[in-house]
Amino acid sequence: MPDEFDSFLKQALAPPPGEADRAFVARVQAHIRLEERLASERRVLIAKLWKELVAVAAIAGALVLLSRSPVVVEWAAAAPALAVSILLLAFCFVVAIFSAGSGARSLA
Amino acid sequence: MNGQNEEDLALSRRAASGDGGAFAMLVEKYEAPLRSFLARCAGPDRADDIAQEAFLKAWRAAGQYDGRARYSTWLTRIAWRCHLDQIRRTRPPAVEPEASCSLATDEVQDMVSRLSHSERAALVLCEGHGWTHAEAAELLAVPLGTLKSTVARAKAKCRDLWTGGDRA
Repeated sequence: MPDEFDSFLKQALAPPPGEADRAFVARVQAHIRLEERLASERRVLIAKLWKELVAVAAIAGALVLLSRSPVVVEWAAAAPALAVSILLLAFCFVVAIFSAGSGARSLA
Repeated sequence: MNGQNEEDLALSRRAASGDGGAFAMLVEKYEAPLRSFLARCAGPDRADDIAQEAFLKAWRAAGQYDGRARYSTWLTRIAWRCHLDQIRRTRPPAVEPEASCSLATDEVQDMVSRLSHSERAALVLCEGHGWTHAEAAELLAVPLGTLKSTVARAKAKCRDLWTGGDRA
């Protein structure tokens, strides 16, 4: 049979009655929204990273193929300065394209 | 599965498909008992942070709730793990009595703060929140017999403190 102490303990340890704490619920919802937004941004960034990796691999593959072509090798041997200049221009073009992409993302 | 579990399962499934409103209903329903339990176990200062972390984990894992146990049991298990993780990461200070609580609550907080983590949890759930011994044993991952003796020991310690106080 419950005595005075049992009743006291049950009453004191029971969860508080009454309405839900709206401020707490709002805080949890805000956390969830933030987490959803971060997760979606993370997914977009990972997708972009993969695309950029594939693009870099494609460019590198194309350069390797070009460098193996006898016509290109012959021409580069005849005019090495021009070949290096063209390579540098191509490199700057690629860097500019990737920088523009990153800048647009950070602005968004 | 009872009606309450079915209702919570439906809300949890809606939450799993991205319905924030359904999850907000679950938060409204269970925030008070969860925060009250955590305030007793981890202290009022850390209770809200752990409760928020638990709700966030429950949102992420909403699809895993299968309705076999009560939603409150499932949620409290998540919160208990968060609490244990926090204990492992840092050595938290002892649970202090709340500054703004009533005399009776202050007294019981003082008693509870002298118990071990598992004694605290077992006592609060079984005596205050009406959990069955089996549910509390599952939460604390201990055999039923161990849980029963833990509750009895915690209660005896509190009784000693209670009778040793003003009522002695």
